[in-house]
Amino acid sequence: MSKLSKIFFDPYLFFSIFLISFLGLFFLYSASNGDTSIVLKQFIFVVLGLILMLLVSQPDPDLFRRYALLFLIFSFLLLGVTVLFGPEINGAKRWVRIGSFSIQSSEFLKLALPVFLASFLHSKRLPIQPKEVIISLLIIGTAFIVIAKQPDLGTGLIVALSGLFVLFLSGLSWGFMGGSLALLIISSPFLWNVLLQPFQRQRIATFFGIDSDPLGAGWNIIQSKIAIGSGGLFGKGFGEGSQTQLNFLPETETDFIFSVIGEEFGFFGVLLLLSIYLFILMRCFYLSLNARDRFCRLVIGGISLTFAANLIISLCMVVGLLPVVGMPLPFISKGGSALLSLFLAFGIITSMGTHKKFLPQ
Amino acid sequence: MIFEERQIEKNNFSSRAIILFALMGLGFLAALIQIFLLQVSSYSDYEIAALKNKNYIIPIQSLRGEIFDRNGRYIVRNEPTFDLITRPDSIKNIDSFLDQIEPVIFLSESEKFLYLKLFEDKAFANKELVLKKDLTEVEIARFNVRSHAFENAFIDKRYRRVTDYPKIFSHVLGYTSRSKSPYKLLSNIPISHWKDGELIYANGFIEGKTGLEETYNSQLIGKPGQRVYEVNARGRLVKSLEYRPSQNGSSLKTYLDIEAQMSAAKFLGSRRGAVVAIDLSSGGINVLYSSPSYSINKLSNGLSVDELQNLINDENKPFFNRALQGRYPPASTIKPAIAMFGLANKLVDWDFQIKDPGFFTLPEDGRVYRGWKKGGHGIVNLRKALLVSSNTYFFSLAYQADINELALHLSNLGFGKDVCKDCFDEDQAFVPTPEWKYKKINTAWFKGDTVNLGVGQGYFVATPIQLANYASILANKGKGFELSLVMNSEEYYMPKIWQNNEYNELDWKRMHQALTDVIESDFGTARSIRDLKTFSVAGKSGTAELVGLDSKEAYKDLRDTELLRDHSIIVVFGPMPNPKYAVSVVIENGESGGAVAGPVAIEVLKSLINNE
Repeated sequence: MSKLSKIFFDPYLFFSIFLISFLGLFFLYSASNGDTSIVLKQFIFVVLGLILMLLVSQPDPDLFRRYALLFLIFSFLLLGVTVLFGPEINGAKRWVRIGSFSIQSSEFLKLALPVFLASFLHSKRLPIQPKEVIISLLIIGTAFIVIAKQPDLGTGLIVALSGLFVLFLSGLSWGFMGGSLALLIISSPFLWNVLLQPFQRQRIATFFGIDSDPLGAGWNIIQSKIAIGSGGLFGKGFGEGSQTQLNFLPETETDFIFSVIGEEFGFFGVLLLLSIYLFILMRCFYLSLNARDRFCRLVIGGISLTFAANLIISLCMVVGLLPVVGMPLPFISKGGSALLSLFLAFGIITSMGTHKKFLPQ
Repeated sequence: MIFEERQIEKNNFSSRAIILFALMGLGFLAALIQIFLLQVSSYSDYEIAALKNKNYIIPIQSLRGEIFDRNGRYIVRNEPTFDLITRPDSIKNIDSFLDQIEPVIFLSESEKFLYLKLFEDKAFANKELVLKKDLTEVEIARFNVRSHAFENAFIDKRYRRVTDYPKIFSHVLGYTSRSKSPYKLLSNIPISHWKDGELIYANGFIEGKTGLEETYNSQLIGKPGQRVYEVNARGRLVKSLEYRPSQNGSSLKTYLDIEAQMSAAKFLGSRRGAVVAIDLSSGGINVLYSSPSYSINKLSNGLSVDELQNLINDENKPFFNRALQGRYPPASTIKPAIAMFGLANKLVDWDFQIKDPGFFTLPEDGRVYRGWKKGGHGIVNLRKALLVSSNTYFFSLAYQADINELALHLSNLGFGKDVCKDCFDEDQAFVPTPEWKYKKINTAWFKGDTVNLGVGQGYFVATPIQLANYASILANKGKGFELSLVMNSEEYYMPKIWQNNEYNELDWKRMHQALTDVIESDFGTARSIRDLKTFSVAGKSGTAELVGLDSKEAYKDLRDTELLRDHSIIVVFGPMPNPKYAVSVVIENGESGGAVAGPVAIEVLKSLINNE
């Protein structure tokens, strides 16, 4: 805090995110069949997001550590409000209205959970004790169950992962992990019946070919594969993808926007996009290894790995490697809440990665 | 934490971070490999799948070829009719549209019902919809005057397949009607798209079902064109991408002669029977008529259920093509063929004579075979036997014949097989052999069967077209063609020569003379038709017995039942001595061959000669 004039800023992260989010606007224009109002709204969120990211980068990591519990409680409260009072859209309660904005409350938990767990675990001696593990798992489990019951299985899994990553990185014992995995496998029939909604079970069954319905849940994935595959090496050109423009592809602005990119820009376009994502991840990896203390390392690792998991699930879903669970493509899919939470996340990462001050413990 | 502990913690973190980031890298790699497989390895499959999604190909019907007679006159043509077509997608209010159009063009309740039923679907997919078919001239004029008020409707031409001679060419032309499998014409168009095809004919995708329309269907039908539309996921037409016009079918020029066919119909009248005439220079079929007939225009363009039932139930069987499928004993008309067999096998010569007592007794069992004239014809040689149609002479000639050789001889003359290359559903009839008889009726051949064959009776049956073909071989002195209805410059058939080396030019001359005398001399059995014409004609008449009887008295009782009366048959060729046409006529239950079938044959021959 000695030099007020210093701006905490990571040019690699900032410019690659800047690039990918503006490319995203371009893709969104085509995916929405040229709907400028959607693009404009997204643009505003991108600009706000970039500013937010810069602002969030400035405070010292200690601030985040100190307010981590508060942030977590706030996030849980918001989630509680959503589940109890939120409007039901398409059979799911995921949104809470604040003024004229709708916010997807689970997005906050995606950040609050890893930051809190990092603050909880960063001072613990290695190896971390069963008591601490159980507390962490209880918090993670609660978050997962509440979100999965909204129902929003995709986000629930991501939130759970964000917590588990921190737990793993902070030194969870291998024996414990092996035991939990066995327990998970044994309890999977229970999870299948209790946690999953019928439509989610249907999607997963369709994916594994147990239940074939070419015009139902499987239709989307078939059309997505056709869109990507028919893009070939160079793509059909901007706004020229027949699968996209003639509406054969569903949810082009959100879950399936990657298929639009694949169709219109081809394999080379996809390679370019993926290399930007890869660059961001590698930068995060570097920052996590070189962060100033254990708290920063855990936060950067937890958040950036969550980001990676989010990205990979989203990709694998549209190319037919995973069941369709509803996962937006980060920085590109339409959606203000998701976008702001991403910028917030990278703001936190920047803060953690750029503050180099060492304080004696 | 002390420094060392911090260092352990840091190393621990680093190794765990590497594990997790590496795992993420693997996931990333898996996605990338899958993308590569989709976009590079399986690109062409997905490209086709994407095109299949968006391209909606529809067929465009082609105009069917027309059919002409040998003088280039239309037998079948495409007649335009006019339909009122609308574009439902641009009609905003269907009720006010109908209110507006009804004063101009009358719409029946069923027309309105059908239109309203299909309206939404067609509007949604940007497709056209027929509001009223077959407008009258008055309706067309009324609409055209007000067409500016109807931007969403227009008049379009649709064809019907018609002939100006609906009843006389029915069997030979056949009819067209809606095809059950038009999609076989263009295999690249999905079956479900054919319902949206652009039609040229008022009654849809038509194809030939019988007759020439069927035989030459692939030539007549042409090649459909296609239009490729881009459609969106909901099936709505977005724009037209490609248009390939249809290719009209090729027309057929036939050997048929309208005038001669009309003569055949006129002189057969309402009697059951058939007429076939052949052009001796080509083997072309000039006349192919079966009576009674029916209207192909009605059959092609709509026939009520009652009308169809009446045709099907008619005891005269109008759908039955007697010219190609009627099986009749050739009776005495076969005698020239038997004579040829006798000469070639040296069983007789022109001077060989016998005494004809009016019957022949089979030496084996004493069974008696009677002639048509009580008391017989006295002393007869081969010429006289043909002139007076002596059964006794031919009984005894056939008696000497080897049945297998005789059957082969008859088969060489076209009996028992197909003789026409483009006739629809020709019946082969048959020449009996011992083998056939054993198989069919499980009885041994006996000599009497051969004797019967000598006068064209017994098991032997032939179709009118086989009789005409046989007459043409007689007329051409042994040369036979594969008969055909259509002149086809692309496919040239070498005439099949039927020749017996032991049967020389002099024999042919005497045969032609004898057959000319059948009609032209004072003693010939067909002399009654001698004065119907100005040129001379050769021929042989026959009376096919349906019931074997021992005496004329018995036949008198039988006559009371018309359907048991003898069939009247004649084969002729002329003008002599250089014949151009051969004609066969069969009249069912017409009795005496020369006097009944003869005049019809002469009239057909006359109109063929007059109409060249």
